[in-house]
Amino acid sequence: MNKVLTLGLKDLRLLWRDKGAVFWVLGFPLLMAIFFGAIFAGGGGSRGGIKLIVVDQDQSADSRLFVSVLSSSDALNVFTMPLDSAQGQVRRGKASAYLVIPPGYGNSFAFGPGEQASLELGIDPTRKAEIGLLQGLIVQGSFKRLQAQFANPPAMRDQLGRQIDAIDADTTGTEKTGTIRRLLTHLDRFYSEIETDTATDSQSATETDEAFMPTPKIEVVAMTDDRALPKSSYEITFPSSIMWALIGCAAAFAVSIVQERVRGTFLRLRIAPLTRAHILAGKGLACFFSCLAVCLFLMVFAHLVFGVRIDHPIKLSVAILSAIFCFVGLMMLISVSGRTEQAVGGIGWAVLLVFSMTGGGMIPLLFMPSWMQTVSHLSPVKWGIVAIEGAIWRGFSYSEMALPIFILLSIGISAFTIGVMVLARRDS
Amino acid sequence: MIEIQQLRKAYGSILAVDDLSFGIASGETFGLLGPNGAGKTTTINMMVGVLKPDSGEVIINGVTDPTDPSVRIQIGNAPQSLALYDDLTARENLAFFARLYGLAGSHLKERVAWVLDVVGLSDRANDQVKTFSGGMKRRLNLSVALIHDAPVLLLDEPTVGVDPQSRNLIFDTIERLKSEGRTIVYTTHYMEEAQRLCDRVAIVDHGKLLAMGTVDELISHHGGHSTIEVEFASRPKLPTNLEGHLEDKLFKMVTAKPLEVLNKLIEGGARFTQVKIERPDLETVFLNLTGRSLRD
Repeated sequence: MNKVLTLGLKDLRLLWRDKGAVFWVLGFPLLMAIFFGAIFAGGGGSRGGIKLIVVDQDQSADSRLFVSVLSSSDALNVFTMPLDSAQGQVRRGKASAYLVIPPGYGNSFAFGPGEQASLELGIDPTRKAEIGLLQGLIVQGSFKRLQAQFANPPAMRDQLGRQIDAIDADTTGTEKTGTIRRLLTHLDRFYSEIETDTATDSQSATETDEAFMPTPKIEVVAMTDDRALPKSSYEITFPSSIMWALIGCAAAFAVSIVQERVRGTFLRLRIAPLTRAHILAGKGLACFFSCLAVCLFLMVFAHLVFGVRIDHPIKLSVAILSAIFCFVGLMMLISVSGRTEQAVGGIGWAVLLVFSMTGGGMIPLLFMPSWMQTVSHLSPVKWGIVAIEGAIWRGFSYSEMALPIFILLSIGISAFTIGVMVLARRDS
Repeated sequence: MIEIQQLRKAYGSILAVDDLSFGIASGETFGLLGPNGAGKTTTINMMVGVLKPDSGEVIINGVTDPTDPSVRIQIGNAPQSLALYDDLTARENLAFFARLYGLAGSHLKERVAWVLDVVGLSDRANDQVKTFSGGMKRRLNLSVALIHDAPVLLLDEPTVGVDPQSRNLIFDTIERLKSEGRTIVYTTHYMEEAQRLCDRVAIVDHGKLLAMGTVDELISHHGGHSTIEVEFASRPKLPTNLEGHLEDKLFKMVTAKPLEVLNKLIEGGARFTQVKIERPDLETVFLNLTGRSLRD
């Protein structure tokens, strides 16, 4: 065991001295996690064309005007459908939010009797950045709708007439409603004069009216009832970054095995009183500990700086250790994929990048189209992410953890065995 | 101590080592000479168990399996190609390999300090190997073979590509090890090194053993005759029993007994301005045995 440790420590020391390798193993994954975490959390601004489903239950001229105002926004991609379908779309992550325009929205007026009709905004909480932007766009849409109304004297007088009639019909009127009625009457007279005076600049009236426009009431509903959700975007990006770290470690150590062979040190190791098992165990151990150290660093960093949850440390440990085991096995297999450093480095990164692309290392699994999610089953990166996310925010039970962990361990054992067999055959 | 018996190794259709047999006594410095591609390194690799012979045996201290840890711990190997970790310091390289051979603690530190001193690298002990010159790397490569105090040293062309100062230091080191009674197998294609260092020499080519013995034995058996060259003060009348070639005042003759020839010339009254006797050396032997055609 001392000899294996000696071999492992030597490799760790060599890795640490190779600044390029340290960047790929530690710096790059950390940057990825922070960068994409910031983008998904709102730091990167709009992704363009936020998918918003509008459920128009009012079907009035005002509600249609509001929908058309929202549709005209470049930042929104507006669809209409019934409430049930809209909720399903948001739950499945196929739309960022739905907006319900309730019945009576068109007749409600900020100064009328009773409650102002509230808009209901159903959101996917994982899309924090989009939600903030969306709320702003809805408020902006409301103002534009009111602007359009104020700029249209006949429509405004019609609206004011309906409001005055409603106040007159209200038998429980108070002093406040009397005051509002007087205001509405003055406004009606004002719009009557505008209608007859074609020289009047309607724009100035609009600017004046904006001053007392109320902010529309928006009730936000989070669609969290039937699935576990990450608390922040960093709970999505850090599992991916751990996979990047494992990819970096696997690639670095795979190349280091070839370096040993090419530079002759492998010969020295082979003529030392060591077995091949010692040498390979030393490499595996060094790779394992490098991966472990980097994963620990990333998780502690994520927890302390970004509040990524470690509510289930045992599950998380099992998930991370399984992922590490898998990538140590892949490292051994990649190390025999070529006979030169360039060949192994090239093949290794090519294979691992494909695994990463298809497995959610670049685009989070949540955002992948369904066909891509099917393809991702072939990638160990996907199972690593699923296992780690399962422990962090997916709320996996131990039985749910079993599948990804079984797959990771199976890949690790198979890859390590094949790698060792090929290496042994080459040596003989 | 080391017995090589009918060793044979082929790489596909190329026979690298062909029925090679020799023995090396304890404390002997044994030179394995041959041109490039003669099979020297393949032989060394079979001796340390890195390559498995197609047939034949390597016996070291009575053990027929060179991969046996009890055998490996007795062997220190300096491979022909530098086998060092460039990103580690000289001290770290030595300490790493020492640990693999079971050294630890103060003994390890003492051995590291000793070998660094022997190869003249104490001042650069804490510098990374990648900052070393070729000669320094070669000396460190040799020192790794010495770190665990092995009684048998296999030195595969240890002076390739080094400056005269480093080469001289390596020679001094090997002579020091030799005087300590270590068994040394030294492969080279520099004849003067073998002539200086080796008790016995085996000349191999195309994997075959061509000749083996002490340097004097090889010269006397395979070196041919000496050449005597004399420049006379005036054109002489040569004794009739001399079969040399006279051209104007220059006389040249190949003979087993150059001093006898010289004596006869003096007795004949010749007066000469210059005498040159060229005795055969190991290089002559080598070229006589392996030919003068170029090797890749």
